[in-house]
Amino acid sequence: MKVLLSRLGWALFVVWSVVTITFFVEAVLPADPARMVAGAQARPVDVDRIRKQLGLDAPITTRYAIYMRRLVHLAPSSAPANAKDHAGCVAFGPIHVDLGRSYDQRRPVAVILGERLPRTVALAIAAMFVQLAIGIFSGVIAALRKGTALDTGVVAMSLIGVSAPTFILGVFLQFLFGHKLRWLPLDGFGTTTLDHLKSIVLPALTLGIFGASYYTRLVRDEMIVLMKTDYVRTARAKGASFTRAVLAHALRNALVPLATVVALDLGALVGGAIVTETLFRWPGLGALSVTALVNRDGPVVMGTVIVTSCAIVLANLIADSVYVLLDPRVRRS
Amino acid sequence: MSLPLGVAKPPEGAVANAPQDWGALVRFKRNRGAVVGATLVGMLALFAVLGPILSSHDPYASDFVRGVRMDTGTPVGPSSEFWLGTDRVFRDELVRLAVGARLSLLIGIAATLIASTVGAAVGIVAGYTEGSRGVVLPWPVALSLPFALFLAVYEHGVAALGLVAIAVMASALGIAREVGWLRTGVRFNADVSLMRLVDVGLSFPFLLLVMAVGSALERTSVVSILAVLGLTGWLGTARLVRAKTMQIRSHDFVTAARGLGASTLSILARHILPNVAGTLIVVSTISVAQMILAESVLSYLGVGIPPPTPTWGHMLFEGQDYYGAAPWMVLAPAAAILMAVLGFNLLGEGLRDALDPQER
Repeated sequence: MKVLLSRLGWALFVVWSVVTITFFVEAVLPADPARMVAGAQARPVDVDRIRKQLGLDAPITTRYAIYMRRLVHLAPSSAPANAKDHAGCVAFGPIHVDLGRSYDQRRPVAVILGERLPRTVALAIAAMFVQLAIGIFSGVIAALRKGTALDTGVVAMSLIGVSAPTFILGVFLQFLFGHKLRWLPLDGFGTTTLDHLKSIVLPALTLGIFGASYYTRLVRDEMIVLMKTDYVRTARAKGASFTRAVLAHALRNALVPLATVVALDLGALVGGAIVTETLFRWPGLGALSVTALVNRDGPVVMGTVIVTSCAIVLANLIADSVYVLLDPRVRRS
Repeated sequence: MSLPLGVAKPPEGAVANAPQDWGALVRFKRNRGAVVGATLVGMLALFAVLGPILSSHDPYASDFVRGVRMDTGTPVGPSSEFWLGTDRVFRDELVRLAVGARLSLLIGIAATLIASTVGAAVGIVAGYTEGSRGVVLPWPVALSLPFALFLAVYEHGVAALGLVAIAVMASALGIAREVGWLRTGVRFNADVSLMRLVDVGLSFPFLLLVMAVGSALERTSVVSILAVLGLTGWLGTARLVRAKTMQIRSHDFVTAARGLGASTLSILARHILPNVAGTLIVVSTISVAQMILAESVLSYLGVGIPPPTPTWGHMLFEGQDYYGAAPWMVLAPAAAILMAVLGFNLLGEGLRDALDPQER
């Protein structure tokens, strides 16, 4: 319990450091957000007025203090009186999280993130599904046929997969299924649920195949070691079928190290697969963070960074505790 | 693992001063993947060095005469004149690929040198001091350090960076956790603080750093890309080297050396470093592959080295819109990236099998 609390404290500290560093780094980037909002032709007076509106005329330390105070604050009990002040907040009971308003879209950042996050999470889950299905299947097959041509082929494929960045694989899949065969939309998000389902296939496959290469090797290496262990041999000797020995005894144990990696990968995926989302124009967090950076949309940059770092830190926490939950040997010691 | 007769079996575990171990070379040569990897890397190097010299085309000059002659305006396909065709402004793909290869190799290797040097230093120090009681910094020193850093940066006019420095320092000092508060000062453990720094670094958005460094240096250039890749690349290396150092530290020969009165510095240099070297070489080789990949991702996203300099990532990005009409514009850079990354990955894996036979 004490360990968990200190881990949690450390996680909060990491998020705070990342947020702070990002705030200042973002602020010292040369381009002027007020000028970006006003437009290239605007008069200096108007740019100044907008700068004041956005609160960018205050010194950087003041802006940091204001931002951090708004970021996590307590809602007053007389909420209806000044509900307008809390319009852009995400409420967790009395605790409000305010991420500010986007310069570019003139909407609360929390609303924008609320739109984008589910899509990125959907993509992350779909990709993870592909990744696990291919990874476990080919890993187990390769381990059982160790030393044969099949095994060599799987290992070679996984090496090529690891070396092919998502934008090469993605372009290839897009060319094949979107352009040549015309089975699936080239990119985009679509308007109906069916459209969404069709559109998610290619990016999920791209991310999934790339990630599956690593899982294949992990599962294969684990399974080769595990199939030689005494308890698998005992299970066979006691009359368990080969399938049962593989699935219930060996694979189950191979899943423990896999679970840690899955947790970490999910964190990274929720943080936004920037390249894949850009390539397939999937309107998720990754694509948002690129446009926000290019447009110097400070509050949105901060918002994406907060979500990303929270996802990564949380994934680390889960990865650490998953081991303890799944493996009784670790729990005891 | 079978070894040919006449080759000394490598000693189990690590050794204080490794004797000439020809077994590694034999193992490397017998590994088909490793040989393929070495060949790919060799071919890439040859292509990068000789390509631009041997080609009669200029990587920056558009052949507009040819462009006018074309009635469709689409890029020229592969021919005896342009072996890999041209891009949309009629520049020869092959020579641009070769110039891009120079850039990729240069960035991959130089960034790895930076990352591996920093990573090895941090990893060895962290791994060696892991679990130790650390050094006690007296209060005056402990308090004035962040303050001095703040002042130093403030003097240069950017108050913001001072606060950044404090955030970094705080994480470096590991104040949040595992710091023993003593009457005399702050207990400072190099391992805790360095690993905290790695934690923060790994959660930091990579793209933001690229743009920040790029704009700090006026515009993105080879130097800024190197700085960013070097700055972020050492984090993973440090973690791996730390783990390996901790493993070696527990061997008897280290205890013996310490018992015989060897200084910490000489233990690190004479006993730890030679034994970490194998892991470091493997990690560095694979890191070159990752650096080449990272560079191509950056130039693909348009935040890398700006055009007209040919980069594989940007060539792929340009070709993407033409894959129906001019597939060579995608295939050429894609194949180049794939071969380069695969080559270094295979080489690294082969080296691991050759240098660390007990690890699988």
